[in-house]
Amino acid sequence: MLIRKLFRTAWSYKAQFISMIIMITLGMGIFLGFNMEWRTIEVDTGSFFDHTNYADYRLYAEKGFTADDLQRIAAIDGVRQATRYLSVNLDIKGEKNKALALDVSEDFNVSTFLVTDGAAYDENSDGFWLSDKFAAANGYALGDTLTLEFQGTEISGEIVGLIKSGEHMICVADKNQLMPDYHSFGYAYMTPKKLRSAVESKMKKTVADELEKSGVPEEFIDDSLSKLLFTEKDITQALDQVYAQINLLSDVDKETLEDKVKEALGRTIMVTPKDDHIVYQEAMGEAEEGKTMGSVLPVLFLLIAILTMVTTMHRIATKEKLQIGTLKALGFKNRRILRHYTSYGLFIGLIGTGLGTLLGLGVCKLVMSENGMMGTYFDMPDWSAAVPPFCYPVMLVTVLLLTLISFLSVRQQLKGTAADALRPYAPKRMRKMLLERFPFWDKLKFGTKWNLRDLSRHKSRSAMTLFGIVGCMILMVGGLGMRDTMAGFLDLLDHDISNYATKVNLVDNADKKDALSLADEIGGDWESLSGISLDGDTVTLDIVHNPRDQLNVIDEENRRITLSDDGVYLCLRLKDKAEIGDTITFSPYGSSDTYTAKVIGYNRSIMTESVTMTDVLADQLGVEYVPSAIYTDKSADEVRSSELIAGKQDKAQLMETFNSFVQIMDSMVVILVVAAVILGIVVLYNLGIMSYVERSRELATLKVLGFRNRSIGRLLISQNIWLTVIGVIIGLPAGVGVLQWLITALAGEYEMKLMLGTLTYSVSVLLTFGVSLLVGLMVARKNKKINMVEALKGLE
Amino acid sequence: MAIVQFENVTKAYTSGDHELKALNDVSFTLEEGKFVVILGPSGAGKSTLLNLLGGLDSPSEGTITVNGRDISTLSDNELADYRAATVGFVFQFYNLIPTLTVYENVELVSEISKASLDAKQMIAEVGLSDHLHNFPSELSGGEQQRISIARALAKNPRILLCDEPTGALDSETGVMVLKLLLSMARNYGKTIVIVTHNQSIARMADVVIRVKNGKIRSIEEQAEPMRADEVEW
Repeated sequence: MLIRKLFRTAWSYKAQFISMIIMITLGMGIFLGFNMEWRTIEVDTGSFFDHTNYADYRLYAEKGFTADDLQRIAAIDGVRQATRYLSVNLDIKGEKNKALALDVSEDFNVSTFLVTDGAAYDENSDGFWLSDKFAAANGYALGDTLTLEFQGTEISGEIVGLIKSGEHMICVADKNQLMPDYHSFGYAYMTPKKLRSAVESKMKKTVADELEKSGVPEEFIDDSLSKLLFTEKDITQALDQVYAQINLLSDVDKETLEDKVKEALGRTIMVTPKDDHIVYQEAMGEAEEGKTMGSVLPVLFLLIAILTMVTTMHRIATKEKLQIGTLKALGFKNRRILRHYTSYGLFIGLIGTGLGTLLGLGVCKLVMSENGMMGTYFDMPDWSAAVPPFCYPVMLVTVLLLTLISFLSVRQQLKGTAADALRPYAPKRMRKMLLERFPFWDKLKFGTKWNLRDLSRHKSRSAMTLFGIVGCMILMVGGLGMRDTMAGFLDLLDHDISNYATKVNLVDNADKKDALSLADEIGGDWESLSGISLDGDTVTLDIVHNPRDQLNVIDEENRRITLSDDGVYLCLRLKDKAEIGDTITFSPYGSSDTYTAKVIGYNRSIMTESVTMTDVLADQLGVEYVPSAIYTDKSADEVRSSELIAGKQDKAQLMETFNSFVQIMDSMVVILVVAAVILGIVVLYNLGIMSYVERSRELATLKVLGFRNRSIGRLLISQNIWLTVIGVIIGLPAGVGVLQWLITALAGEYEMKLMLGTLTYSVSVLLTFGVSLLVGLMVARKNKKINMVEALKGLE
Repeated sequence: MAIVQFENVTKAYTSGDHELKALNDVSFTLEEGKFVVILGPSGAGKSTLLNLLGGLDSPSEGTITVNGRDISTLSDNELADYRAATVGFVFQFYNLIPTLTVYENVELVSEISKASLDAKQMIAEVGLSDHLHNFPSELSGGEQQRISIARALAKNPRILLCDEPTGALDSETGVMVLKLLLSMARNYGKTIVIVTHNQSIARMADVVIRVKNGKIRSIEEQAEPMRADEVEW
């Protein structure tokens, strides 16, 4: 029978029950969704990396590694597998603005791929295994022929398989590209055998060109003549220079490995763990970002949900006091009554948590699925939905907590005898407020006094309403502000930092003199990026030559810095390493030399942790460098082809890739804003209805006295509006604070400066007021239907 | 001069298939300035009659004319204006606003009534000047009812409608409240309609209307009504 009562009671308090279930669903859903997102990234990318033998370490040497080097490395204790590896960005012949990273793994047990269509890997194959996403975006199919421009010659072959590779799970040309764009950049693998034959072809071509220059008639220049001029050994040596990388699988820590590599090869080699490889770094960065987001906003949601439950359950128990008394008078034991009412909390908790789990799965899938937001970022074969283990106890504790809230609310009403319980709930005695001591109080209108006293009389209800509005504001300012900050960041990148039209990437082994003369020829600024060790950490040394303002460096306040030759600039992420005026000592990888320089400023670096200096200072210090990229205002077509050029990137195209990033951000913002609006509506409506029911007798009295519905409605709405004004005043700075905290927490990934547009402030404030007004009107409408006769009956 | 006229007034409530007539074809008139008691047992229809007269409810059939105006067809807003200008209510459970002080409760009506009387004077007349800044919960039942009378009269209405005004009070306090109610109403020349099941109160009235089962059983004019302090409860 009591079960039947449970459902009927739930029905009679349907507004409260539904809002509590919505709040728990929303709280649990957002909490689980955000946390499942980062956990799924960890699980799915981890499993993909395992399946494709993603390398734990990458060793780089500009002059390449010999087969003997490889053997020595492979023999190091703790190294499970090692391979000489090549990954180089090449343009596709006959295609404008399309390039591929061409990868070759000498030992196909490290840094491999999964075939999604076509032939399995075969070391004797003469074909290419092409990224399936790149193939789909550009209309390539199995059997098509692909020709790549390789150091002045061509490598051609049939597409024999379509693949996905862990090494290119986030397929970007370099660290400056935020998002993959498969229309312009993809990746392909070929066999070491094919690489050897490409190197041989290149050597033949070089010989032929030289013979032709020396006046040897064309008909005499053929393979047999070329073969007389270089041997298999020469080819092997040339190949050794091409393999600039060794990828290996090992659990040894970085310092130990560095020492062992140095010992094995007799020279310092740049050892980068997977944490420094763009794919792993970005994937884990995303997971970290998810963890950060998951630890603030969803917790806020869950907290508001639970607090709403406390207020609402207390009110329901108070309203049920007579029924509780009746049950007690009828002879029901306290324990049974407690069990009955406690089951309300359990019921709400179970339904809310169940629906919340479904919502969480939906939120997670919205982000983590092939067609979801991350689908454009990660290229992996399997998309699951993983729940972090700590979420299970959180779910259990939430249900138990809700049950406990019900239990405590009812226990309070059960105290004393049956007669006590049968007496109606006595509202708190009115006490004068502090405000009433001020002279202006008497001048206030009655409605204002009434509302102020009502707020002070029902403190927990008022505080909850305020909490809901503040939460709503924080979510809106946080969400929209994140977008503003990102947009500002991209704008900075597009206009202040990158003033060029084309970025010309140079080959790794370019000659410094040739590179500088090419930069002069095409009239661009240039920079040289190389790895250095600073206090044991791997950071980038950025040597900049920017007299033309094509590539700029900016300070903490986003102002352009005219680089001085007197010292180096540390990026903001390295601010802790040294104060201005201190000296730092660094050592380039591949060299045992150390250099010391004075820190003269900090700069905002876009992607990498870097130490920036001018070429003049680099020359003074004697640092060896070769330009890595030239930045010019010429279009890509105007830049002549050269062996020095590895690829050209159009800035507009580069910025275009950011658009998909912004789209992801937009979707997240939409989720947050929608959640904020729902949160606002549910909390305010629930509390508004509660306030309305509690004041129904007073409202009926006003109606009887002759107050019109509209004036009474205005009274109800004005209370909401006041709370909204206070909520906005608190919520706005709180939102900015949370955003600043998020940005600081995310600083490891992006050095962003908090930027908030006027539109964000206006939209957040207007939407919050809109929600408050809407709910106020919804509640005020009920006032029309108030039954004066019924409301005035009964005991005070 | 007739201030109230009920003509064939019926008020029916439907509950499922059942129709319950709380008032059934009721007709009567009330003269201005009289003290009228509507008497009847529980469920007789007396409160329904008072609610219709007070503009809290509308009749199912018939017309109610107050001060020459048919109030049975008024809109919600017109009824609110009618309540604000023409009638004042005193309830069994006082219905004061708990979050407003004594003074504010009375002063409140000045927001809706153009002809409202001075709140402080009205409170002084009910003898509670010392409690101007107390909240209702700090007053006794009798004191709360006196404030309720002050509030009803402060609107300066033509008719004062009282629903069991002494129902929640002990006899001594009840007599005191009735005395106050009568003297103030008389001083200000108001028509008073009291609904009660208490026969003793009826002895004080100029007119007694007896109601039973939704019908008027009798309308009796009393040439020499008793004074409040003569009445025994």
